[in-house]
Amino acid sequence: MTASTAPVPVPGTTPGLASPEWGGFDPSRTSDPGSGAAWRGFGAAVRLGWQMEANWTDPFLFFVYSVAKPVSAALILVVMLSIISGNQDPEYRSFVVVGTALWSLVLAGIAGLAWSVLDDRERYRMLKYTYVSPADFMLHLLGRGVARVAVGAMGAIITIVVGILFLGVPFDAATVDWVGFALVMTLGIVAIVAIGVMLAAVCLQTRQESWSYPDAVAGALFLVSGAVFPLSVLPLVAQAIGLANPLTWWIQGVRDTMFPGGVNAIGGSGSLWMQATGSVAPDTTTTILVLLVSGGLVTLVATTIFRISERRARDRGLLDRTTGS
Amino acid sequence: MSVSSGPPAIAARGLRRTYNVKPTKVVALDGVDLEVPPGEFFGLLGPNGAGKTTLIKILTTLLLPSEGTARIFGFDVVDDVKRIRRIMNMVAGGEQSGYGILTVREQLWMFSQFYGLSRDEGWKRVDELIEAVGMGPERLQRVGTLSTGQRQKMNFARGLLNDPWILFLDEPSLGLDVAAARAVRELVTSWKAAVPGRTVLLTTHYMAEADELCERIAIVDHGRILAIGSPAELKKRVQRESIFRVEIDHLDGGPGSLAALPGVVSAAPAADDDGPVDRQSVTLNLVLEEDGVLGGVVVALSRMGSHILALRKSEPSLEDVFVELVGRGFSDEDGPVESPPAHPTDPAEPHEPVEVA
Amino acid sequence: MSLYEHRRTASPAAAAEWSRRQIVMTDLRSVYGRAYPRMSGMLREPSWMFFEVLLPFLATSAFVFVYRALQAPPQYVGFVVLGGALTAFWLNVVWMMAGQLYWEKAQGNLELFFAAPMGFMAILFGMAMGGMVMSSVRAIVVLVVATVVYGVTFEVDQWFLLIAVFLLTLAALYGLGMVMAGLYLVWGREAFQLNQLFVEPVYFVSGLNFPVMSLGLLGALAIATIPLAVGLDAMRQLAFVGSPFPPGTPSVEVEIGILIAMAIGFTLFARVMLAALERRARRVGSLSVRWQ
Repeated sequence: MTASTAPVPVPGTTPGLASPEWGGFDPSRTSDPGSGAAWRGFGAAVRLGWQMEANWTDPFLFFVYSVAKPVSAALILVVMLSIISGNQDPEYRSFVVVGTALWSLVLAGIAGLAWSVLDDRERYRMLKYTYVSPADFMLHLLGRGVARVAVGAMGAIITIVVGILFLGVPFDAATVDWVGFALVMTLGIVAIVAIGVMLAAVCLQTRQESWSYPDAVAGALFLVSGAVFPLSVLPLVAQAIGLANPLTWWIQGVRDTMFPGGVNAIGGSGSLWMQATGSVAPDTTTTILVLLVSGGLVTLVATTIFRISERRARDRGLLDRTTGS
Repeated sequence: MSVSSGPPAIAARGLRRTYNVKPTKVVALDGVDLEVPPGEFFGLLGPNGAGKTTLIKILTTLLLPSEGTARIFGFDVVDDVKRIRRIMNMVAGGEQSGYGILTVREQLWMFSQFYGLSRDEGWKRVDELIEAVGMGPERLQRVGTLSTGQRQKMNFARGLLNDPWILFLDEPSLGLDVAAARAVRELVTSWKAAVPGRTVLLTTHYMAEADELCERIAIVDHGRILAIGSPAELKKRVQRESIFRVEIDHLDGGPGSLAALPGVVSAAPAADDDGPVDRQSVTLNLVLEEDGVLGGVVVALSRMGSHILALRKSEPSLEDVFVELVGRGFSDEDGPVESPPAHPTDPAEPHEPVEVA
Repeated sequence: MSLYEHRRTASPAAAAEWSRRQIVMTDLRSVYGRAYPRMSGMLREPSWMFFEVLLPFLATSAFVFVYRALQAPPQYVGFVVLGGALTAFWLNVVWMMAGQLYWEKAQGNLELFFAAPMGFMAILFGMAMGGMVMSSVRAIVVLVVATVVYGVTFEVDQWFLLIAVFLLTLAALYGLGMVMAGLYLVWGREAFQLNQLFVEPVYFVSGLNFPVMSLGLLGALAIATIPLAVGLDAMRQLAFVGSPFPPGTPSVEVEIGILIAMAIGFTLFARVMLAALERRARRVGSLSVRWQ
């Protein structure tokens, strides 16, 4: 097509590249479109993630799937408890139910981003196209993971409700510190997503069989998060790791704000916390502050690791490779 | 016993295939009758969505027909599945299959085991085929790092592992550059020529590929075979005469002096002669009753003292044949395009519908 | 003979007829062939050692500490350790076998497998064998390290029977895996999501961390239907002789009978079902649709 044969553009539309009205390359098109475009990209990724997660089956089965896993995890602990101590320790039962319920959110958050990387690279082979678009890559992955986090949150809420209704978890709405709860949840989800970003960075480097890595990481963190037993049961070194883990402070923060007065996972007799600070257990304010600091640190580390991994992936041509065995 | 005395390589009767996709049922094949004798290089030529891949999937036992029958060397594609799989192989274009973690050699060896070769026999055959397809330098390279052309060569090697009696090629040069596509065509041709009786069914929408490789071609559109014949026979449907474009240094007596020769239907100046204004040569379009008349024209020109500077035969393309049969080109839609085309579910099978289970 | 020729026969009909020996040998070779990429993958990308072995050991340790926090009798720690070891094989079945067909379809390998003459169960078995190496390493690490670190004491009277029960459990597990693989072929993307359903809930009803008959009727149902439940229970009874088990726990002999029936039943059912499901997949056209 030459300029003399180009179609006449319709008034009000962008002139085509070959049209006489096209004045040549416009450098302003390469400038940063601003945060509005970034949020639009994030929103599109959220919508995409929801479409991918939610449209694979009928709503009832989706509901069952979203609920069965966290409820089963809670029941495992409840049965273990009832075998050993019968029904004599309702506080500890509340402790384990809340811990396992929240853990479904942890797993969803950790897996959400990692699986998005593997999905887009191996199954749909769209990762390279997303990467070369102007949208921020990490924002896109975060958006893709939102749907899974939402599903995990739904599972957590339902498990806690089941716990309250059927498993004897004591709950009094009048004692809930809603503001504190909102703050704790916000900080906690940031920390969870940060860990997910770190795992996504790992999955950028590893092969298709990494599907099970989020489960493995969540399982390992389970040990040092005070989710189902107080940290004081662990050796001191493991307790120290647990105290540095933002998830520990998040879960305890939820317990403190929603179910105050229960067993404390961080303090207690023989705990490293008590040895280091002299106090039996941290109060809610301390818990939130430590969550803020540790979550912030983890977020910083995660962002750095992700950027390093991204660069390495570009360097080694990993963004569009397919692996498999 | 010669292969040619046995059953046909492919025999399809009344083959129909429908897909129950939303919102309406799609008829991918609509009563296909086809017979390919053993040893033939047969082509299915048609635009995207014509039904070529659906037909090849039925013949390679990956898909059941909704109606009709099909047999490969006498074995039914519905019931004699195992027997057919022992004597056939398939190579599709645009394939991304393979285990990225394995080397080329290992990937091929794994498939050799699926076709019943022993361990050592498999390695030996794989090494031979790797050399034959020109992948010697890449034999220890991981599959995940291969270029498109290299991957397709590897796919071909896989397709030849079991020395099939019939080889199905589904758009084998899709996505390949000119050199790679040529290499693929040469490979298939030499493989087929090596042993009599080897049959190839090729689906393609590249005219030149079908024209070059196939002994007979079926033109397919909307699930039906519109015409079958050799490339020359199909082109004769469009143009029964022979047309030549000839450039000569001068012509005393003008085009009329040639038009009067026996067997010459017409001789006229070429309409799009873009030569320089001061050039003395003359370019003519000669329409002859048949190719043999050309000799007489050359002799006549020589007697007139004219010298031929260039001579080229103008042939209709297979697209011309398609247009004549269907009334539109390969890339033309039936009507105005009102929305973007649907995203294909598989790059190698554009517009093949998917049945919603 | 030309370079391209291999075992040329007089006619296609002769090439299409294979002897029983040829069929069996091809299937056996296919098992090894399909296991090969999985084993190669393990060697070439060793990150699995950290994620598939070390981290799961830590996850098992979490439940050990739960029992310690509850001051449970010591044999319960042994129950958790044995359960943790066996989950390696269950996860291999769910992720590397049942769900693997979905991956094969997504990669475009599935139709190539179906177009080849070997039996499809050979491919599934090859996948299982290839993954079993990883699972075995994980199980051994969990068993050995946890036993040493947490001071688990096994009391085994009949080692031969214990090993036999373990092998029977594997046979039943992998038979079930083949059944699931066939179902996944039909369910498509749902199957991948349903993998999640088959982890925690199965852990719960199989008594991963406690004797399964603690669940009463639910436990009895699990023993009757889930290889992990019955195998784990039988192995616990053999590995911790003298430990108290809940009333109603079937004897080891009964559980062995159940395992044998499961191993044979699942495998036969898988064979019939895979053939039926392949036919269905060919009818619907889902063998090569990638994202369904």
